[in-house]
Amino acid sequence: MKRLAFLTVFFCVLSLLLAPLVLAQTKPTPAKEAAKVAVKTGAKDAIRLGGIWDFAGPCYMLSESAVQGMRIAVEEINAKGGVLGRKMDLIVRDTEMKVDVGARETKDLILREKVNFLIGPCSSGVALAVQVVHSESKILRVTCMANTEAQVVDKFTPYVTQVVPNTYMEAVAATRYLHKKYPNAKKFCTIAPDYEFGRREEAAFEEEIKRLVPDAEILYQAWPKPGEKDLTSFITAIMAKKPDAVHSSFFGGDLVAFTKQAAPYGFFEKIPFIALYDLPVFIALGADAPDGVMAFGRGCFFMDPNPKMMEFVAKYRKARGAYPDSWAVQAYDSVYLIKAAVEKAKSTDTDKVIKAMEGISLDSLRGKFFIRPLDHMGSVPCYQGIIAKDPNYPFKVWKDIVRVPGEEVWRSEAGVREVWKKTGVTR
Amino acid sequence: MEANQMEQQKSWKKRAWWLIVLIAAGLIAPHVISEFYLLILGEALIMSLFALSFNLLFGTMGQLPFGQAAFYGLGGYGMAMLLTKLQINFWLSFVAGIGIAALFGLLVGIFCVRLRGIYFSILTLAFGQLIFVIIYKWHDFTGGDDGIQGVFPPEFLKDPMAYYYFILLVFGLSAFILWRIIHSPFGYTLQAMRENSERTEFLGIPIARYQLIAFVISAAFTGLAGALWAPFYRSVAPSTLMWIKSGEPVMATILGGAGLFFGPVLGTFLITFVHAYLLGFTHFWPIIMGTLILIVIFLLPGGILGFIKEKRDNRKKQNQPSQG
Amino acid sequence: MSFDILFNQFLSGIARGALLFLVASGLSLTFGVLRVLNFAHGSLYMLGAFISYSIWKWLLIPVVGFYVATLLTAFIMGGIGLLIEYYILRRLYARGWPEQLLATYALILIITDIVKWFWGGEFLSIPRPKPFTGAVFLFGFPFPSYNFFIILLGLALVVFLWWLVFKTHLGDIIRAAAHDRDMVSALGIPIPWLFTWIFALGAMIAGLSGAVTAPYGAIALGMDIEIIIECFAVVVIGGMGSLPGTLLGALIVGQVYSFGIMYKPELALAFIFMVMAIVLIIRPWGIFGRPER
Repeated sequence: MKRLAFLTVFFCVLSLLLAPLVLAQTKPTPAKEAAKVAVKTGAKDAIRLGGIWDFAGPCYMLSESAVQGMRIAVEEINAKGGVLGRKMDLIVRDTEMKVDVGARETKDLILREKVNFLIGPCSSGVALAVQVVHSESKILRVTCMANTEAQVVDKFTPYVTQVVPNTYMEAVAATRYLHKKYPNAKKFCTIAPDYEFGRREEAAFEEEIKRLVPDAEILYQAWPKPGEKDLTSFITAIMAKKPDAVHSSFFGGDLVAFTKQAAPYGFFEKIPFIALYDLPVFIALGADAPDGVMAFGRGCFFMDPNPKMMEFVAKYRKARGAYPDSWAVQAYDSVYLIKAAVEKAKSTDTDKVIKAMEGISLDSLRGKFFIRPLDHMGSVPCYQGIIAKDPNYPFKVWKDIVRVPGEEVWRSEAGVREVWKKTGVTR
Repeated sequence: MEANQMEQQKSWKKRAWWLIVLIAAGLIAPHVISEFYLLILGEALIMSLFALSFNLLFGTMGQLPFGQAAFYGLGGYGMAMLLTKLQINFWLSFVAGIGIAALFGLLVGIFCVRLRGIYFSILTLAFGQLIFVIIYKWHDFTGGDDGIQGVFPPEFLKDPMAYYYFILLVFGLSAFILWRIIHSPFGYTLQAMRENSERTEFLGIPIARYQLIAFVISAAFTGLAGALWAPFYRSVAPSTLMWIKSGEPVMATILGGAGLFFGPVLGTFLITFVHAYLLGFTHFWPIIMGTLILIVIFLLPGGILGFIKEKRDNRKKQNQPSQG
Repeated sequence: MSFDILFNQFLSGIARGALLFLVASGLSLTFGVLRVLNFAHGSLYMLGAFISYSIWKWLLIPVVGFYVATLLTAFIMGGIGLLIEYYILRRLYARGWPEQLLATYALILIITDIVKWFWGGEFLSIPRPKPFTGAVFLFGFPFPSYNFFIILLGLALVVFLWWLVFKTHLGDIIRAAAHDRDMVSALGIPIPWLFTWIFALGAMIAGLSGAVTAPYGAIALGMDIEIIIECFAVVVIGGMGSLPGTLLGALIVGQVYSFGIMYKPELALAFIFMVMAIVLIIRPWGIFGRPER
């Protein structure tokens, strides 16, 4: 049987020689140049922005997009003369999606790089740990991706402001959309990644659906671990319950896996479904994206194709060779928010900027929104739609798009204060 | 026996001078280096303690535990939960954190010490992951993947310099205690078990019991490191309990040298500082670390300190051709 | 709980078990013969998934493209396995198993960054190949045909490995070497080359499983860490180094997870580690393992 051995080795070696050919056509990832590149103007009085992002796991891609969005904004601002005549520098640090590294790198940005403001991160868990650190050092952070409500509600500190719809807002808006499309649905299942983000969104969904449909029942809640590759058991468990609709806060790779695994079961034909179908998922799925299924999101270009947004799309495509997703859009908005607040305060002193920022209104890529003074929550819009093909793009997008202004779905000030009573926030 | 003691005294004196240098350096550091590097230094000290307690089991006892991060995390979590949820005073929580880690060390150790070799390692890995999953999933109790924030040290320790001295003090004491343990009859018995467990057993030594004691001691000091960490950045999170974290003291020890007491410390310092430095301009840290480990495994079999020691021993042998 | 619901969960468990067996068998093979627990096995699996994606994208031949890509990936990964064994592992056989373990741990770090470098952090997806795009109907309930494909592949691998190990001369050598490598070496058989070949075979299987997983779900960073722990659970439960043990272990883990999901979803993962710990405590060498080493 030596022949067998030699034969396999021969093929292995042969294939190995082929490998470089294959690797050569992996597109030179824009990641390599975008991810950690800072913007260093060299100006002595430059306003320094620190990007604290997670370049690991599911957050990797999203962090890259965000940094690219930030970069475009910074370069634009610098080209037009900067803020208060001062240029902007951008320094990016990696948390490796680890809480301890995140806390340390935040300290690095504050102590060594002496940043004036922070933007990021992606992971909600990292965000909360980072929040303690920069709040103690009195540096303001804009969160445009990690969207756990805990940042501005439960664990509020004045040094945070949020321009991404928080978990409560996003889920409430999606729930109302689901209910409008399927007003007779009474029995529901949920499936969400088992961590802070997923749990919060499903909790908000449950709260809202029970408000809209008093006799609503949640039959079964699936909690796969984030990154779970095999969701079949969950899918069959859900289908066995025969729900009227399913709400999900799946996104990214998990949503891709779920979609591919659920489709052969006829899931999408049988059960109304809503999840975070955003651009990266559409690009990955290609034709596998299920037409007619409901989706929610935070502001990808096709969700809000206003003139300002389309201008940004053109710039982004030129710089990165790709279309901007929600993450890039929100990161871009974050930089402009800081600019607006600094200009209003006529200073970069954190306390003055925070005061200026409270109540400020921004004309962003996603339309106008303002920052609520009480909890620093931006009245940022939530989007929902139906998945559909579009001849203009090589990937599927949405139709029947609904844009819900943030102030229609966020917790009332009284509601926020109620939570604060429980968690001990005094304001 | 006498020659041995004389050797020890001589080597003690030799060691004394550079130990003094190190201690002095540690004491003046905050006045010399920037605040950021002070933080890194603090981190390095805490992780060195982690590595030293790991090496009690690896270098001294000859077993490779791959779940130590669980005790590290338990120390931190135990302390964080008592401090934030029950408002128990900092010092009591601190000690309780160590106690919790030691308790789990006992519970886990009872089962692990009955195994040897790779089975020991995998069981520690399994227990480590089990504890991690429980803490991660039990979000009502532990806060889940959010972790616990607001772990503040008492006022006089809030200043980074003050907390650094606290870490330095605890590290120094712990290192001293671990040194004494390793160089005690108990420690020598552990080493004997590493060299030849059968013979040791024939001598009437209850192997499992000794290994259990060592396991608990290691868990306690690991928990101490965890309890030092929690107030450092004011929070704990489940990611500190993942098995990847358990690999960090392993890498540091192999790098520095498992055969010498300060090997793990050297390895940890190297990794921590290089990591912090490199993160400043690349996030391709893992490949550098991985390559470094491979290089050390191939070229420096005893780790860096082991390599240096061998060189010195060879030179000594050359200089004293006629000895006994 | 009606029969068809239970049956469906059971089938899901079988599909998951089949996938686990595909991956874990390579690990078991390597451990059984080389006595090396290859921490980087999951990384080879992940690398295989990414490579198969690139080949598939490059070829873009409908239908056949996927299968060609899978086969080619297996061979490429075999080649990489050859290189790893020859240049890295071979030098460490004389050293203790801790060094070998650590070397494979270092490989995880290296391979992760290689994947990051070439493919970035994007998650990728390959659509299911024909004819496995839809579902077959069992007892009136749909079951994705691709899951069937995976089960079939798992069976094929079982048969192949059984044939190789028990019905060929090479298999005799492998089994003898697993038992007593010095004796086999004394008989004039080049053990180093045998080991290289076995490791390459293990890597091929890893690459094949990665390629097969690609259309199943998503290809993303972190696949390696995720799968290696489950693989450890499988080989521990079934018996390290025993192929029938790996099969049994994979089936057990698949079912524990599948039914755990239905009854106590939060604990499903914890169950696996508990079973793993229990097996190690009661019978460390697993169900079918041998109490040596």
